[in-house]
Amino acid sequence: MCRILYTIGAGVALAIGMAAPASAALNSCDGPIVLGTTMSLTGVNSTLAGKWDKMTEAFERDFNKTGGVYLKSCGKKLPIKFVYYDDQSIPATAVSLYEKMATVDKVDLFVGPDWSSHGFPVSQVFEKYKIPSVMSNVATPAVYQAGFNYIAGMALAAPTWSENYFEMLAHMNPKPKSIFWVVQDNLVTKAVRATNGKLADKAGLQTVGEEEFASSTKNFAGLILKMKAAQPDIVYISSFDAVSVPLLQQMRQLQVHAMDVHHIMASGSLAREVDLTGVTGEIYWYEGVGGPYSDLAREVLKDAGIRTFDYIWTMGRMDSYLVMIQAIERAGAIDRDKVRDELRKPGAMFKRPGGEFQFNAGGLSQIVAFTQQIQNGEPVVVWPNEQATGKIIWPSPSWH
Amino acid sequence: MPGQAVRHRPHHVRAACTTGERMTAIIIQLLIGGILLGGLYALIAFGLSLIYGVVRILNFAHGTLLAMAGIAASVMFAAWHLNPMLIGAILFPLAFGFGWLMYRYLLEPLKRRNPVQMTVGTVLVTVGLLLILSDLAALLAGPTSKNIPLEVSVFMVKGIIISTTDLAIFTGVVALTVALHLILTRTWFGRAVRAVTQDGVGARLCGVRAGTIHAATVGFGCAIVALAGVLYVLNFPVNPYDGFALTVKAFTIIILGGIGNLLGALLAGIFLGVAEALTGFFWTSQWAPGLSIILLLAILVVFPQGLLRRSGT
Repeated sequence: MCRILYTIGAGVALAIGMAAPASAALNSCDGPIVLGTTMSLTGVNSTLAGKWDKMTEAFERDFNKTGGVYLKSCGKKLPIKFVYYDDQSIPATAVSLYEKMATVDKVDLFVGPDWSSHGFPVSQVFEKYKIPSVMSNVATPAVYQAGFNYIAGMALAAPTWSENYFEMLAHMNPKPKSIFWVVQDNLVTKAVRATNGKLADKAGLQTVGEEEFASSTKNFAGLILKMKAAQPDIVYISSFDAVSVPLLQQMRQLQVHAMDVHHIMASGSLAREVDLTGVTGEIYWYEGVGGPYSDLAREVLKDAGIRTFDYIWTMGRMDSYLVMIQAIERAGAIDRDKVRDELRKPGAMFKRPGGEFQFNAGGLSQIVAFTQQIQNGEPVVVWPNEQATGKIIWPSPSWH
Repeated sequence: MPGQAVRHRPHHVRAACTTGERMTAIIIQLLIGGILLGGLYALIAFGLSLIYGVVRILNFAHGTLLAMAGIAASVMFAAWHLNPMLIGAILFPLAFGFGWLMYRYLLEPLKRRNPVQMTVGTVLVTVGLLLILSDLAALLAGPTSKNIPLEVSVFMVKGIIISTTDLAIFTGVVALTVALHLILTRTWFGRAVRAVTQDGVGARLCGVRAGTIHAATVGFGCAIVALAGVLYVLNFPVNPYDGFALTVKAFTIIILGGIGNLLGALLAGIFLGVAEALTGFFWTSQWAPGLSIILLLAILVVFPQGLLRRSGT
């Protein structure tokens, strides 16, 4: 009987020991700072996250060349080390992997995950284990309004997604007067449409039509014929790149005409499938911009063989690494609560290759994208003027 | 030059001036797109219908095979600029061989088990194959969508726009449908398939080896879907993870059309394609994919055996 009780007691103690956070490694000056993350290396979102494993490894290598993160409490720099897994683009898998990293791998801090569909459920893991994370490419405002205290997010905020674009439209001649919205049935794309409508109104654009489509839609004839009947000046496509390939192909075939066709995720992978000449869009960052950490960013991208136009959300991911590093440095120690406080400090400015920015009250980055236009198959930044790499061709060539 | 553009009215609106003519042109445009897509759906469903009708196996990896064939076709086109017809001729025997091996080594052993184990086992094996093939295709060819970007010319007939790609796909669908019909009705293989379906014992007594015919039927079904994949990527991009949605569409069509009934599958496919196109215009595109399930339920209430009764392949 005593032996049985002893065995049960040992088992319970072992379980508690395994489940408890690894406080022995925290606040210590030995070993690397371990950052845990998942990436969608397979599954439906892998088209967006291709090569991010290589990018992460290149970042670790290139950043650690400088010695790592300076910790005041240790009086020295500590290197960073990533522990990453493939979440297979499945939110439930991401949740279980973050749980594993918290309890088995005992990482110090988290970065990621990506995508709004993952952000919501995984944020609950961060709250449960009180481990802060800087998420990447989680753009839906609702995630940051849910009261989570251990998250911050690097993403283009949906409400200001096309802020530069609509500002640009106000300066165009001839001035566009009407807009037709085409929206993919997805959290982020619907949030962009819902919030950017106000920007369109402010730019003097009247909505002459709006259509939503499911991600699996292949035949867009009905939608396009409605669009043509409305004769809009602007066609605004709020959609992920891959699912809108047949839409753009059929818009060309059915000879849609407009002053401009705007796609919120016009990317290299889209440009390889369909003629994007004249299409405008947003770009998170591009290699021509000089800002904090730009040299590091360019080196990492080169080592990983990534062009930001091909994988447009890569910089969102890299920004999450950079911001976490800055938060650790400011905390001065591998202390989860101090790092969380630094991330959520009101008014705190952080640096990224696109410049300086701050988080809003809920932890979402306040970043505005550059406006680009595809000219001769390549992206040309056309707005804001101060950072433009070329002039916009207006009205859009090939659509007008 | 920027700033000097004159507003350009779409040509098709000038061509069809009255509201009635405009609406007629729109409806015909929708029907063209719907029939084309429906014909492709039917082609995808033919292989599944044949396999299920003869071998009684529901292949959940069917759509994934189409995706793989489409991706292989687009990679071959990009690398060697081969004519899509030649690509189809290359992929046909490869897909046949894959189907044959899949049946012989993965599915035929399950037929020796009791019906419940066979059904569960088939689902597990084919779903597992779906996952493996999707990730294998993503690993080998990358996860991004691929298609065959042919140069497209369009011409207009009374305000209706028809592209050369549409014509090519339509021709391919018609040719394959006719060829399939002739194979199943005029060749020994077709007669053997029908014999095995109607009476396996009697077919064996006539010297037909049921196991070989089953394997050949699965191979043939896979080969048809490979050809469908080549036609599919002429117009629509495909990525390794698109397969399951296409399999569900194919299931819907073979149930609507009657299991094992190829004419029924063709009519059901076209019906579905046209219904989706009309829904996208008169209601909203968002509901077009879900429409297939709604139609399935509605039609099965009235026609429980599908639009056409099974006619023994």
